[in-house]
Amino acid sequence: MRIGTAKENYIADEALFDTNVQRGWMIALIAALIALPFLSGQYAIYLVCLVLINIVSTTGLNILTGFTGLVSLGQAAFMGVGAYIVAIMEIHLGTPFLLNLIVAGFGAALVGIIVGLPSLRVKGLYLAIATIAASVILHFVFANWTSVTGGVSGLSMPPASFFGSELIQPDQVYWMIMPITVIMLFGAANLFRTRIGRAFIAIRDRDISAEVLGIRLLRYKLMSFAISSFYAGVAGGLWAYFFRVITPESFPLLMSIFFLAAIIVGGMGSILGGILGAVFMTMVPEVLKMMVGVLSPIWPDAVAVMSPVRIIVFGALIIFFLIFEPEGLAEIWRKIRRFFHLWPFKT
Amino acid sequence: MTISKIAKHVTGALLSVGLISGAAQASDKKDIVFGGSIPLTGVFAFAGVGIHAGITDAVKIINDEGGIEGHKLVYVPEDTAYKVDASVAAFNKITSQHDVNLYYGDSTAFSKTISPEINRLGKMVMTGASFASELDDPEKFPNIFIPGPSYTDMTGILLNHIAKEKPGAKVGLVHSETEFGRDPVEGAKATAKELGLDMNLIISTAPGGVDVSTEVLKIRRARPDYVIFHGYVLAPIPEFMTQARAMGLKTKFMGTFWSTDNSMVSKMGEVADGFLGVMPYNYYYSEQENAPMLDKIRSMRDTYQSNAYMQGFFSTMMMAEGTRNALKAGKELTGANIKAGLQEIKDFDTGGVIGVPVSVKGNSVPVGRVYRYDLSKKQMVPASDWILLD
Amino acid sequence: MDWLFFSEIGLAGIGTGGLYAVAGLAFVLIYKATRVVNMAMGELLMAGAYIFIGFSAGLALPVWISIPLTILATGLLGGVIERTIIRPMLGENAISIFMVTIGLGSVLVGLVEIFWGADPHRLVDFIPSDPIFIGEAYLSPKVGYGFAVAAVIIGLFLVVFRTWRGGVALRATAGDQAAAYSMGINVPKVFSLVWVIAAMIAAIGGILVGSIGGVSPSMGVYGLSVLVVVIIGGLDSLLGALIAGIFVGLIETYAGAYLGGEYKMLATFSLLVLILVVRPYGLFGTHEIERL
Repeated sequence: MRIGTAKENYIADEALFDTNVQRGWMIALIAALIALPFLSGQYAIYLVCLVLINIVSTTGLNILTGFTGLVSLGQAAFMGVGAYIVAIMEIHLGTPFLLNLIVAGFGAALVGIIVGLPSLRVKGLYLAIATIAASVILHFVFANWTSVTGGVSGLSMPPASFFGSELIQPDQVYWMIMPITVIMLFGAANLFRTRIGRAFIAIRDRDISAEVLGIRLLRYKLMSFAISSFYAGVAGGLWAYFFRVITPESFPLLMSIFFLAAIIVGGMGSILGGILGAVFMTMVPEVLKMMVGVLSPIWPDAVAVMSPVRIIVFGALIIFFLIFEPEGLAEIWRKIRRFFHLWPFKT
Repeated sequence: MTISKIAKHVTGALLSVGLISGAAQASDKKDIVFGGSIPLTGVFAFAGVGIHAGITDAVKIINDEGGIEGHKLVYVPEDTAYKVDASVAAFNKITSQHDVNLYYGDSTAFSKTISPEINRLGKMVMTGASFASELDDPEKFPNIFIPGPSYTDMTGILLNHIAKEKPGAKVGLVHSETEFGRDPVEGAKATAKELGLDMNLIISTAPGGVDVSTEVLKIRRARPDYVIFHGYVLAPIPEFMTQARAMGLKTKFMGTFWSTDNSMVSKMGEVADGFLGVMPYNYYYSEQENAPMLDKIRSMRDTYQSNAYMQGFFSTMMMAEGTRNALKAGKELTGANIKAGLQEIKDFDTGGVIGVPVSVKGNSVPVGRVYRYDLSKKQMVPASDWILLD
Repeated sequence: MDWLFFSEIGLAGIGTGGLYAVAGLAFVLIYKATRVVNMAMGELLMAGAYIFIGFSAGLALPVWISIPLTILATGLLGGVIERTIIRPMLGENAISIFMVTIGLGSVLVGLVEIFWGADPHRLVDFIPSDPIFIGEAYLSPKVGYGFAVAAVIIGLFLVVFRTWRGGVALRATAGDQAAAYSMGINVPKVFSLVWVIAAMIAAIGGILVGSIGGVSPSMGVYGLSVLVVVIIGGLDSLLGALIAGIFVGLIETYAGAYLGGEYKMLATFSLLVLILVVRPYGLFGTHEIERL
């Protein structure tokens, strides 16, 4: 059983990690992240990079949907905005990647604010549909503003360079993606120790009550949209550096649904949930692929037959979690931890 | 699942058992890996399934004949759902687990994405489902091979056919609003001008659009003698034709490679009679003297195989041939050497997959034939001779 | 200005709109009675169309037997969906239910691909293909007959909805679930009934849409346009769905005809945004007053 966690003051109560054990685990995790490229193959690192990019975007959506209670199906389109900004800056200006990513984040945030503008009047599902409209319109812009976005054939961009060396292979881009993801995650976790974060939660729980308490709804809702799209923009920028080709088809509506599914499966309104959800949803298709790989020697058409299964599993996971574990993987994780905390006593 | 499908799986399983036992006695030379990002699901799954079958069979035939100069050819596919990021993931996965020399990509966007990476790795050549005109440029895309004519060349073949049949004809082009659909538009305009044809109508259709009657009305206004469809597999071509016929238009309709598959054209129903399409290959059922490969395909698969199958099959043959040339010359298997091996291919007898001996020019194999759908036979039948472009 | 062309486009637009109205009707029906925004509407249409293929092409039954069988089978599917997936979500927040239907859509697509493969299909031709001329203006026969069928279905539905006992129970449930229940209406049964009826309507819509535009696993995209229709009309207004259906159909075809195919979605979705800003609950939707 865990002992010695008595809180002596409010600062300790608000701390990101309550115990030294937790801090220890966190350091171990970061050490593992640093050691990873030296221990695993390109494909594993490739997957990790993809997972990290998805984590950034999922966390962004979680701020908006999980913490502020505003449903958005525009996350992929916001990523697209970030990706295009990064590509255009890299192609035409050749500015350093960090600057490009920050500009991408702010650009996406601006678009997010514009999309969020109706959110004061339009609520719930109507808002979700409005964000679908936004992604359709953005898709049209990507596909038809040919002089800037390259039209339907999109843009190919040079790799990011870091002190003269180009970041091409997954294990090189990893050094850009991993630290940025970690920083963005700490940022998100800290956000909910501030007034802004608490205002978001108040709005989610009951927006009218929040307004009565003196929280200016429009301002905070737009702020939530802005922060969420900032995350999406940076994720999109990382995506662009990772794949180095952006087409209007790169950011379909299905991708927005994927992020929403990730926070549902992971756990809405929990930073850990967003992380777990992104990891889980990215890895499930991989596991299925591996199963196909195992089956293919005895059943060569397995790959063709198992593929629709992947679509079914995607949908079934959403349904399953919503019906049986609405709090998501984060809740399962908490249950496991509680079991160990109470271990010798509750058997 | 139908009985025939189950039967297919069972036979497939049996075949693979045969493969495994055969592999035991294979030579100790290094395997040559043919990786593939194959769209087995998603919007292009129709083609992906055929391509997969075609490559699988071609690889088996090559290995049964002793492989490529004694090296066994190994095909490693991954499903991509026709998404670029999934294709890149598949590429990374396959290349990190195998020493890949040959690759099959599923889309133009993917080919463009991965091309710099392939150049950098410098040890492989990529072919694929894309006949994009942009890729047909050995300077810009040195390690890409197109197993047929580019889309621009395809529309070129059709326009040439038109110019011969009816000089000065009015031609319309209907394309889908995708990268694939827009590909040949500029090229086709230029070719039409050169040939003295009047391209008076270009229509783009939104993906997922259901009703095409407004587009048909436009065709009715413009009254083109010919309309070329590009960027579709099936829908909305039949609807266009049905409505145009109902209006009494005498327009002739044509399609490019991916809308010329026989089973797809058959699904169009009666209006398909007279539909013209361009294909670089023979059909599964084509009758031709001295076509050992076609016979082999027919003995391996007793039902009709799509033109995607032929595409996958032909891609594999060519890639193997290019590799063989490189190995024969005693060169190391690098991208440049395999590509050089591919470009050496001259008057290559495909055993009936293509009716004439073929040569590689630039990045592509600019050959094709116009086929016409014959309703009484329920088959696409040749409407022209084999056309070699230069 | 070519007025003949203009009116022909208009006719095509109204025809398309009729189909939107049918799908919108099914959508609104579900929302009104159960407060579920069914994102799987397009997929339900798709399922209907594929089931029709199963009967008419797979089992080679005549069309006039296949259609009722398809309607029944899809209705059954609707009932099963309600009992297994939607009922357990009763009382959860709207977002969760919305996501459940998205998951459902994905499952339906996968199932269809397993049973029928990923190839596009065409439905058996059963709609007459002689062109319709209204005055001088041409109307595509499929769109024309599709519209006629749509109008009949909608009319039939409205009559049933007004007069039949079940229709009254349905309206009562939509009005106030608790009150309806205390008056002896079996509300859970009404929920199931609504899904069955909506799925039946979706089957008809799917057959019509499929016979015009072909059938493929990506047919669910059609649901997006239906979504625009019901949001513009107001989620809980049957009349709104009908009017908005025609309206969206017209806008879409005019945009497609005069601006180009790529502007279709842009036009309808821009309209959607505009309407949402001016009237957040759609043209005819009920403005819900929030209380603490």
